[in-house]
Parts: sequence; C-alpha cells; structure tokens
Amino acid sequence: MLRNKTVGAGLAVLASTVLIAGCDGWMGETSGEVDITAMSADELADYLVLETDSYRFEQEAQEGGSARDRMVQDGIQAACSIEGDPDSGTAGEVIAMARESYEAPPGGPRLGNWRRGAELARSGYGYRIGHRNDDHGTREAGGNCYACHQMDPAEELYGTLGPSLAGYGATRGNDSSVVNYVHQVVSNPHQYFPCTKMPRFGRNNFLSEEQIAHVMAYLLDPDSPVNQ
Amino acid sequence: MFKKALLALPVAMAVGAAAQAGEWQDPNDVLQNLLQNNPDSAYLHQSEMNIMMMPDNPALWLVEEGEDLFYAQRGPNNVSLEGCDFGKGPGELDGAYVELPRYFEDTGKVMDFEMRLVHCMKELQGFTSDDAAVGQRHGNGSDIMKLTTYIAHQSSGMAWNPPLDHPEEQAMRDAGEKLFFRRGGAMDFNCASCHGDSGKQIRASVLPEMRNGQEWTKAISWPAHRAGHDNVRSQNHRIRGCVWQMRHAGIKHDTPVNTALISFWNDAARGEPAILPDLKR
Ligand code: HEC
Ligand code: HEC
Repeated sequence: MLRNKTVGAGLAVLASTVLIAGCDGWMGETSGEVDITAMSADELADYLVLETDSYRFEQEAQEGGSARDRMVQDGIQAACSIEGDPDSGTAGEVIAMARESYEAPPGGPRLGNWRRGAELARSGYGYRIGHRNDDHGTREAGGNCYACHQMDPAEELYGTLGPSLAGYGATRGNDSSVVNYVHQVVSNPHQYFPCTKMPRFGRNNFLSEEQIAHVMAYLLDPDSPVNQ
Repeated sequence: MFKKALLALPVAMAVGAAAQAGEWQDPNDVLQNLLQNNPDSAYLHQSEMNIMMMPDNPALWLVEEGEDLFYAQRGPNNVSLEGCDFGKGPGELDGAYVELPRYFEDTGKVMDFEMRLVHCMKELQGFTSDDAAVGQRHGNGSDIMKLTTYIAHQSSGMAWNPPLDHPEEQAMRDAGEKLFFRRGGAMDFNCASCHGDSGKQIRASVLPEMRNGQEWTKAISWPAHRAGHDNVRSQNHRIRGCVWQMRHAGIKHDTPVNTALISFWNDAARGEPAILPDLKR
C-alpha cells in the first residue's frame, strides 16, 4: 500500500541481465539501464529486495510457496515498515486490515493441552530457510513465545521484547471473552496492537489451530505452571 | 601473535597520521573506553568473560595470517593485493575499512568491503568464483576472513565514516535504512523488531539498539571472534544469521541488499570508533 510500483517494468530487464552477468554484474556495466538515484528510497529498497537476485528466491518455504513470497509484503507488513509507532491513521488502517483477515476456528477458539503448549512456547524451531533449512518433516515447528515473553515464573531464560505473561490466566480467568481475546492476539495481534513486533501466528499459518489451542491452554489453564 | 599484532601499530600510526577519521587504537583500548563511557549499557556489559578475553582475542591470529596473504603474490596472475584500491588508493589500508561502502568509478557502483575484496582477487589476481580463495567466505580457515581481519584491523579505533558525497552512496544508504525497517517473512520481522530498543533481550541475548551509536559501533564491529561459533565472523555473516532467524528468504553474498544494509548500519555508527577485530558472544 505504501509502495509505488512504477519502477517495475524497466527493472525486469535489468534483473535478467544480472542473472547472466553473475555477481559482478548488477549496476556495473549495466548501470546505463537503471538510475538508482532516480528512485525514492522506498522504491529502491523494494527494487533491491525483489529485482537484484540478492536472495535464494527459488527455495521452497515450509508453509508452501517460494522464498520469494516471503519477501513480497502484504498490506500490514508494508504499512508497518516504519520507525517507531504508527500514526493514528496508519494504526486505524492496520487494525482494519487485521480484523478483516481474522478468522475464528470452526466452533470457536478452545483450550488444548497445556503440556503440549509448553513445548510449543519453548521451541524456536521452524521456518528457517536459506541455509540449514528447518525440516518440518523431522521436527515440529514451535511458537518461540519465550524468545519475547516471560511465561512460567520458574523459567529463567526468557526474552523481554514482549510483556511478562506470568500468571496470565490466574489474573484474567478463562471465560469465553478471555479465550476469544487471546485467540485473536495469537492469531493476529495487530487487531489490538497495530504494528506490534509480535508475529501473526495464525494469519501467517505459522502455527496450526490445534497448536494455538495448546499454547492458549498453557496461558489460561488453571493447572498450567504459568498460573502457579 | 601479539608481537605481530602490535607491530602493526607503529606502521598504521605512521601512515595514518593524516587520516581525519582519527588515530589507530588497539581494539581492547577502544572497547575499554566504550565500557567506561557507558556504564549502564546492558548490551555492552553483557559478557564479563568476553571483556576479560579481549586482550587475547583469537581473531588477532587472523590479522597475522591475513597480512601474509595480502602481500603474497597469488592467483593465476601471481600478484599481491597491493594494487587493490579500497577507496583510499591502491594498497592504502589505513582507515579504508571504516570508509566503506563507497562508490567506485572502475565498477560504476557502490561496493561494500567484501564485494571489493572479491573484486580485486578476481580482477587483479585472476581467481574465479570456483577457487576456494574467493568461494569460501566463512570460517577461520578461509582466505577471505584472514584478509578481512587484517585489513579491518588497520582501521581499529578510527571513526566509522562511510562517504555519502556520491548520489549513489546516498541512495544506497537511504535504501538501507528502508530495508532496516522493511517487514517481511513468516514472522513479520524487520531489523528494528529486535534492534529498536536498548537493553531488550531475546532469550538470553541482550540486543544492541541501532539508534544508540555507542552500542551500535560495537554491534557492527565485525570481523569479530564469535565465541559461540569459535570462528571469526564478518559483517555479511551477521546479516545472513539475522536474516535466517527472521525467517526471511536466504540472502546471497556479494549482493546489493547486503551493500545497502551495511551502507546504512555503518552510517548509523558514524563518528564512533570501530573495534577491529572485536570479540562477541
Ligand atoms: C517477537 C516477539 C514476540 C513473540 C515471539 C511473541 N510475542 Fe506475544 N507479544 C509481543 C509483544 C511486543 C506484545 C505486546 C503488544 C504490543 O504492545 O505490541 C505481545 C503481546 C502478547 C499478548 C497480549 C498480552 C496482553 O496484554 O493481553 C499475548 C497473550 C501474547 N503476546 C502471547 C504470545 C504467545 C502465546 C506467543 C507464542 C506463540 C507469543 N506471544 C510470541 C511480542 C512477541
Ligand atoms: C528476531 C530478532 C532479530 C532480528 C529481527 C534481527 N536480529 Fe540482529 N541480532 C539478533 C540477536 C539475538 C543477535 C545476537 C546478539 C547477542 O548474541 O548478543 C543479533 C546481532 C546483531 C548484530 C551484531 C551484534 C552482536 O553483538 O552480535 C547486528 C549488527 C545485527 N544483529 C543486525 C541486524 C540487522 C541488520 C537485522 C535485519 C536484517 C537484524 N539484526 C535483525 C536478533 C535479531
């Protein structure tokens, strides 16, 4: 949405030149074909990402599609490619986009097994590509919640990019409004926190609905160590 | 190793006396000053063990090996790298590393350090991409890392000062800034997701903040011995690692996305002294 696509046409020509000329070719001998100083910084950034053969775009992504698809921005990614907090206009648009794309699971969100949720919250495995690609066939991908959140108060290794979730269910309970809210946050947190750093685990198909149910149980089940 | 590393000092000082970027300083002295000036930076102070190990930084071995490689006559053309211009004239290494990336007339584009080194090894020495000398980019055993560490060491203590006079230099720096904030991938991350605040932790790692020059100069001071990998690593290797953790597409070496990111991140530490080589967790 914030991107201006006028550079596209002429650049495809250059991209093929780059492929032929190899590493030394981009903008070298071919610089007559494209003037990078004529682009805005946003255009040039997009051009560099998508048209200069800088990435292993041909690789398959674990969620389906190619590595290239990961670098083509959707509306929320484009709107949130900013420094600092979004202004109120952008925030409103992002919330609207997030709500529009949100889907509750059939029958409504539910809590799964908190023990499985604990494993998923700890595991940072999954979705890495480029080199040493993560193999979802041999190991399940996790949600890596501990990279950013404190959860079980007895766990010492946790990140601080996100707020502490220790005692989350103990203080909030787990009636349906809480369960619905947590599902919305884990699936697509931009509905409440526009341009948050937290990934859209549901929307990006990073976690399955079943996995999200387990992680939610870890947060909300009264027996979970998070709530002791 | 210390003898050789220390010997580099008077040479660097003599030649570099006129450099505006400041005088050569031992990397450990640069670090100690940063630590003293920033007693509250959790990032800079996070590893007491690494701070203690800094005078015996294993990366200094590569300085020595890299020096031998730089002056050796090598490759199909049997010439040394003394004819390589890193921006300050052929063979002029003092302050060259902290004044990159820059626009080169001979190639008509902005090049970062590793791109330029590879360019010289190919054009002057006659190596091809199939030769291990330029094909192997990572690890203490690679020529590229030895040369990188030696050449970078000649700029230790000098201030990051990548030129922005050429319009393409400015364009690449500005695009690099956009790239730093460009969200993408399976986790919607941009670089600022993890490097936007000071003192934040991802798991056990305290993260450097890009807008904090004194944290950022250490963050971008590569080559550095990375203790966890037991190898000296480059700026490009760090980008590759963060891009991998971000679940973006895999990034290739010698590509303009690397150059733009480095143009921006070196500019973000402008004026701050470089620690070359550094030692990291
Ligand atoms: C990259 C860091 C990151 C990761 C990984 C992450 N989160 Fe978050 N999370 C955040 C941030 C930051 C917030 C605060 C929202 C904001 O202000 O942007 C948050 C908020 C939340 C909230 C809302 C808290 C409230 O105030 O009600 C919940 C619930 C939550 N996260 C759960 C999870 C779960 C479960 C996982 C793992 C599946 C997870 N998070 C992974 C960064 C992260
Ligand atoms: C998911 C979090 C995350 C993202 C996103 C991320 N990084 Fe990092 N970055 C890290 C971690 C963790 C370290 C290692 C810090 C440590 O071990 O002390 C690191 C280290 C670095 C360092 C070196 C500092 C050091 O002490 O090792 C630089 C420079 C850097 N990142 C730049 C970037 C750039 C540029 C991007 C975007 C292309 C980026 N990072 C994206 C997590 C991230």
